[in-house]
Amino acid sequence: MSELGRALRQDARRAALIIAVPLLAVTGCLAGWPSLVPGVGYWDNSVVALLDATRVMAPLAAGLAAWAGVRERRLDFLHDLTARSPATAALLDLLLLAVAALTAYALVALALAAETLSRQDAGAPAPLGLLPGAAALVLHVVAGYLTGRVVPRAPTPLAVAAVALPWALLRPAGTGLWSLLPPAAYDRVDLFSTLRPAVLAAQTLWSLGLTAALVLGYTAWLDRRRALVAPLALALAASAAAAVGLAGARPVQPAPAALICRDWPLTVCVHPALRAALPAVTASATPLAARLTGTPAAFTRVEQGPVRRPAGVRAGVAVVHLDDDLSPGHGERAARQIIAGLVSHYPCPSARTAQYRALVDSWLLGTAAPALDDPATARRFGAWPEETRRAWLRGHYTSYERCALGARTFRHTPHDAA
Amino acid sequence: MIADRSAIVATGLGVRRGGRWLLRPSDLGVTGGVAGLAGQPGTGKTTLLATFATLRRPTTGALEILGHDTGNSAGLRAIRARIGYLPARFAWAPQMTAGEFVAYAAYYKGMRSGAARAALHRADLTDAAGTQLAHLPPEVRLRAGLAATCVHEPDIVLLDEPLSRLAAGRPGDDTAAADLVPLIRSLAPVVLVTGTAPAALDVWCDRVFTLTRGRLSDAPGAATPPFGSPLPPRRSLRRSLAGPFARAARFAGTGV
Repeated sequence: MSELGRALRQDARRAALIIAVPLLAVTGCLAGWPSLVPGVGYWDNSVVALLDATRVMAPLAAGLAAWAGVRERRLDFLHDLTARSPATAALLDLLLLAVAALTAYALVALALAAETLSRQDAGAPAPLGLLPGAAALVLHVVAGYLTGRVVPRAPTPLAVAAVALPWALLRPAGTGLWSLLPPAAYDRVDLFSTLRPAVLAAQTLWSLGLTAALVLGYTAWLDRRRALVAPLALALAASAAAAVGLAGARPVQPAPAALICRDWPLTVCVHPALRAALPAVTASATPLAARLTGTPAAFTRVEQGPVRRPAGVRAGVAVVHLDDDLSPGHGERAARQIIAGLVSHYPCPSARTAQYRALVDSWLLGTAAPALDDPATARRFGAWPEETRRAWLRGHYTSYERCALGARTFRHTPHDAA
Repeated sequence: MIADRSAIVATGLGVRRGGRWLLRPSDLGVTGGVAGLAGQPGTGKTTLLATFATLRRPTTGALEILGHDTGNSAGLRAIRARIGYLPARFAWAPQMTAGEFVAYAAYYKGMRSGAARAALHRADLTDAAGTQLAHLPPEVRLRAGLAATCVHEPDIVLLDEPLSRLAAGRPGDDTAAADLVPLIRSLAPVVLVTGTAPAALDVWCDRVFTLTRGRLSDAPGAATPPFGSPLPPRRSLRRSLAGPFARAARFAGTGV
């Protein structure tokens, strides 16, 4: 074993890396696992889960690194009086601590990837998604360790963790610099969106720039080397440029997907990862489409759309949203979304008109009629044959849409009028 | 000139900590031999020693060691390659063996593993090299510390209260301390040690100074320096500790 290898081995034993790696890995898995909500294994959401894991791992890693920094200060009588650079010991410690943190990070990433692969996966694994969390973790390790070196006091590790925890955990997900500085919180990414690569790259660059600046600044201070000032300034400039890139940036962007369709008896199209939803959505949407035929809300195609596209019917196409866990009742919920989209612009003026609308809704959905304050109307409507109801709706669709139904509206069927 | 003969030359050196002067601005020259620096706890001996070890920057004045200025990085690196410093309560990892500890120090001193083995041999630690430091008695652990401090055969060795852990009144402490004195005296051409009582240092140091209220002075009853006379004062205080700057015999073999 080389001289350096022996020194590293001793440093690794002292830094208790054999404890730090599993501690960080277990903490990361516990923190990231809840972000993997049941449903489709969407790779972008796995990246979000990894970033959520980083938000807990990073403060813990910073505290552990600060503890190592405080402890190592006691060996300065060996480290500093050296023919080598006095920064050698600190750099070797940082190397070991960073490798330990990244090993734990890799274990968490592998666990999350395995879980994603065990489900119906969507999207594609993006190596870029690994970088922001890894870079943020290393930044926390470096900042924590150097704080421990500069302020070698017993409370320093706790103080470091106490500062890093709220920074990582209390900033809300969103847009803008404050929310996107690593380790950033992300909302769940829906199937028709993807993480914006430029934001991930800027976050990585920001962390790496600050990490390099901290290491170079500390080395320049210890070595009293002015030659390091130029790369230090370059690292700070890179970090500042990344921060400018993050200001006002949106963390996700639309990701159009080629839908997969079933064409009979109705054209129903969903995201390929949710092809299992086709039978239920078709079964729920087909009778609804038949009952709305001849009205302004008639549709011949049902499409799963992204959250940003409102549910409802436009130009013969009904847009629905599907939860990617496809929990029981997802077909009926899709039909309800279509109906809700039809009438969403016209709230009911009274509870009574709302009851009449609910009566029609129950027929459209094929569910039991609700209890009405006007049971006679309910009985009358319930007694009509299917064709009569459809003809009635074609004649009174505007009243239904605007929640202007009343007892009189139900007194005359279209056949009576004829 | 002080610089021609002195290993440590301080000009207007002042060390201040916690709002008080531990050493008021003084001129100082340290040449060769074993010098003792005595002072009550809290007078600043440790801080002053750490300043000579270049681990602390002086508050004021210039400090030149082995002909190099501590104020620039090139000089600092050259100095640090040639001095050894052992704190009073030097840190070590409990699971490290004595051999690993010395080898670890050798890496940072830029020495090969052969130098570590030689240092262990000189400190009579060959048999104890495989034992964990935590399991060694205090005097053997101190030998390991001395071997680690001097693995690169420095020109100046600074030891902060090296025998303090052998003054706990345990049986055999006095014998162990007496055995260590020849080893300490042979560590380097210039050895500077600190202690609490001037009388205890006076027994085995070539010259003893006391540090009181920020001023250095000859200890009352101190032995006459065997290696020449102190240099004349240049400003407020100038001290020459011991005589010609000649390399002493290294690590006289002593039993554990």
